[in-house]
Amino acid sequence: MKKLVISGLAILMCCLSALAQQTNLQNAVTKLDKARTVKDYAAMEQEFAKIAASQPKDWLPNYYAAYCNARIGFLLQDDGESIEPYSNRGETQAKKAESLLDKVNQKKELAEVYTVMSMINQSKVFINMMTYGPKYGPLAQQYLNQAKQLNPDNPRTIYLAAWFKYNTPKMWGGDKDLAKQLATQSLKMLENTDTGINPHWGKTEDQELLSKYK
Amino acid sequence: MKTHIIKYIAVAFLFLLAPRFVFSQCRISGTVKNNNGEAIPFASILLKATGEGVKTDTTGTFNLSTNAKGKQLLLVTSVGYKSFRKEIALADSSIYLDIVLLQSDAQSLHEVIISAGSFEASDKAKGASLTAIDAFTVAGSNADVALALRSLPGSQQIGEADGLFVRGGTGDETKQFIDGTLVKNPNYPAVPGLQQYARVNPILFNGILFSTGGYSALYGQAMSSALILESVDLPAKSSAYFSVFTANLGAGIQELAKNKKSSYGVTLRYSNQAWYNSIISQRINYFSGPEYLEGDANFRIKTGKTGMLKFYTNWNTSNVGMRNPDIDSAALRSTYQVKGMNSYNNLSYRDYLNDDWKLEAGVAYSYSRINTIQNLTDADGQTINLPNYPFNEKNNHRIINNDFAQARLVFTLMFPHNQALRFGAEHFYSHDHGISNDSTIALTDNLTAAFAEGDIYLANNLAVKVGVRTEHSSLLNKWVIAPRASLAYRLNDGGQFNFAYGIFYQEPQNDFLYQTTDLNFSSATHYVLNYTKKAHNRFFRIEAYYKQYKDLIKTEPVISNDGKGYARGIELFFRDKKTFKNLDYWISYTYLNTKRDFLDYPGEIQPNFATPHTATVAIKKNLQDINTYVNISYAFATGRPYYDIRYDNASNASRIYDQGTTKNYSVLNLQVAHLMSLFKSWKQKPFSGFSVGVNNLLGTNPLFGYNYSANGDIKMPLTLPARRYYYAGFFMSFGINRTSDILDNNNN
Repeated sequence: MKKLVISGLAILMCCLSALAQQTNLQNAVTKLDKARTVKDYAAMEQEFAKIAASQPKDWLPNYYAAYCNARIGFLLQDDGESIEPYSNRGETQAKKAESLLDKVNQKKELAEVYTVMSMINQSKVFINMMTYGPKYGPLAQQYLNQAKQLNPDNPRTIYLAAWFKYNTPKMWGGDKDLAKQLATQSLKMLENTDTGINPHWGKTEDQELLSKYK
Repeated sequence: MKTHIIKYIAVAFLFLLAPRFVFSQCRISGTVKNNNGEAIPFASILLKATGEGVKTDTTGTFNLSTNAKGKQLLLVTSVGYKSFRKEIALADSSIYLDIVLLQSDAQSLHEVIISAGSFEASDKAKGASLTAIDAFTVAGSNADVALALRSLPGSQQIGEADGLFVRGGTGDETKQFIDGTLVKNPNYPAVPGLQQYARVNPILFNGILFSTGGYSALYGQAMSSALILESVDLPAKSSAYFSVFTANLGAGIQELAKNKKSSYGVTLRYSNQAWYNSIISQRINYFSGPEYLEGDANFRIKTGKTGMLKFYTNWNTSNVGMRNPDIDSAALRSTYQVKGMNSYNNLSYRDYLNDDWKLEAGVAYSYSRINTIQNLTDADGQTINLPNYPFNEKNNHRIINNDFAQARLVFTLMFPHNQALRFGAEHFYSHDHGISNDSTIALTDNLTAAFAEGDIYLANNLAVKVGVRTEHSSLLNKWVIAPRASLAYRLNDGGQFNFAYGIFYQEPQNDFLYQTTDLNFSSATHYVLNYTKKAHNRFFRIEAYYKQYKDLIKTEPVISNDGKGYARGIELFFRDKKTFKNLDYWISYTYLNTKRDFLDYPGEIQPNFATPHTATVAIKKNLQDINTYVNISYAFATGRPYYDIRYDNASNASRIYDQGTTKNYSVLNLQVAHLMSLFKSWKQKPFSGFSVGVNNLLGTNPLFGYNYSANGDIKMPLTLPARRYYYAGFFMSFGINRTSDILDNNNN
């Protein structure tokens, strides 16, 4: 009897702590939806990294931490060397998230990770176009293509494709009209996404890009 | 006692057998912590060879049992930390390890890198640090490294001579090195009053260290400045290019092997100014050239995992002949023709012998032949011989051949936390032979140097570099010892203070050694204090220095080492890539206070190649929407002194007969380049573009000084050969986008 109570309690504790962890992640994701500045994202990155440490088997906390770092990289794109620590940390986190996914059965999740991976490589290009560009620019494209292949309907991948089309000079394949079209498409796809723990960011980014057309 | 011996023997026996016989499992246990002593949970511990691995628990402890024996590589990794590797010897016992992991970027980002006295432009540049291409693509630099670096603080705006005049030093006090070996003749043979260009093609380099003082003990024989160039390893892709400019043609290929382990390349350039000079009138009347032909070739082979073998050869010829009114007689003409031939060859090898030792070796051989003909002619070009001074010194013929060879070996022993000990030796062989009018010239020198240098991190934010270099010249038959030291202290906000000290020796120029070898090394002692801050795509630097010259060469009354001098100054540099979108600019200011007594100077005076104030601006604007780049550079300098110094027979000494200061120097250079896509249907779409530019756009008439007639009655201004220099051309490259080699490519 005693044993039963103890094991029952133990199971309960386990469930509770798992539940608590889920709530932690949900809370953090909800907060992330409101993040706008470098400071916001830096604080969120810390929070996700902490959750990642306590949930080593879950790809999501690492994925979100990496996304925060990628966002910081994009926000600091005129800041050169300041980006580097974020890019480096983001890269390790994204790789960690990738390693936690099943390459055969979790293609959609992988597409999310590769999208962030592409952003992280692009953030390295911002450090110094001339020295980091030749190496990380093509890598960013490669990850974006991989993400597209795994899931052509991911609105975040479409957003990133729009970003590249917008920021690449025409001569090297840039296309501002196509960029607008892609960003609009991505935004539309994001209209009715739920706000659970699964990746659903992109609205802010799309709006940011589209605001340049006004 | 006896039992002890038996125990030892037994242990030794077991140890010997261990690799062959597996008798039991070995247990590796321990903890993984960060440098604050906090446990790191979920760090992975991996035996590289067998793939066996475990993770630490929440208290940072781990336990790993393995059947592996002998030397094994243990790898410890955790997110956010630098990976840790250690070779462990597994025997029939358990091992306990306390492992400390360092935070990955927090550490590497704030590393202190000693930078007093130097500008680094490399392919590792971040933010607003310079890249090699940034430096090369300053408008008006004519693909000449030395000219490009004049937009950085420390050097003077000299237009009448070659080389870099740094901090009160002559052009001869700056030396260039490629992959460790000296480039004996970086420029085409000197022509009086006319700047000659570099022989070395800058696009071959991805790293430049421009030291204006206090450089490393690994280099020597440059009293003022060292320009240390590092060549590209393997190119990213195979490529080919050609370019057609007003006075130059160029073409080259670079082929990367399929296995990406080796490459070779060849380039060829030809330049002839005659056609250009027939359209744009020149102040100088050329009867031959100026004409330059140069070719270079290279191969690079990756040997093993970490080895790199590189070969570079450069071959060129030049021909410049001019005929102008003679300064001492308006009726006569003075001709000057110099024909040069030069070959530079460099073979270098570097490899990591193991995790701790690195080896760098290099051999270089160069040959140069300079044929100088100076004649006094009548208006029809017939040579005239007149018996009296100064005309009796105006017909000269000189051929100088120089063989130069260098061998160099450097070992580096690496310690944890980027500390290192470097040591090595090098030998320079130089042999001149030739004729000067009727006399023969022969001069052989063997210079041997040994050096050692240590990088020591005294604290996380404090690093020192201490070195010593000793040199022996067989010609001078003298030993010298040159101590070098530098220190860097990093502040928490990313700013850094640097200090450097060093003594730098240099042998007298051969022109003096032809006359006597009873001379000493000249020397300069440098003290450099600097503050730099790099943040948010901006780079600020301020540097102050004091330099003391000793034993400079005097030519009057007899050749001796009785010269001396000093230089002191403050320099500022600011680069900003952030404030204006797609616009990159830097500004520099150089203050120089220098006096020296050398050559025929009657005492310590401000030399004619030094001015107190110099300011430069370099602007690079990328007009992304129209694929156009605008490149502007501007230099301003206050006037330089000029002198008419002659030997006064009455007082048996040198005397200044006339002196003054030139007007201010102000030169603006502009370059516009436009990229195009041509032949879009081709499978390998080439990158094409054209570039047009004007040097000295404002058409100022910069005055560098005067040439005086022998009696001092006539002075002729030294200025640019033409007010403006125009160029326009087209280039096309295949394989990779090499436009960035020609201009600053700032886009994605």
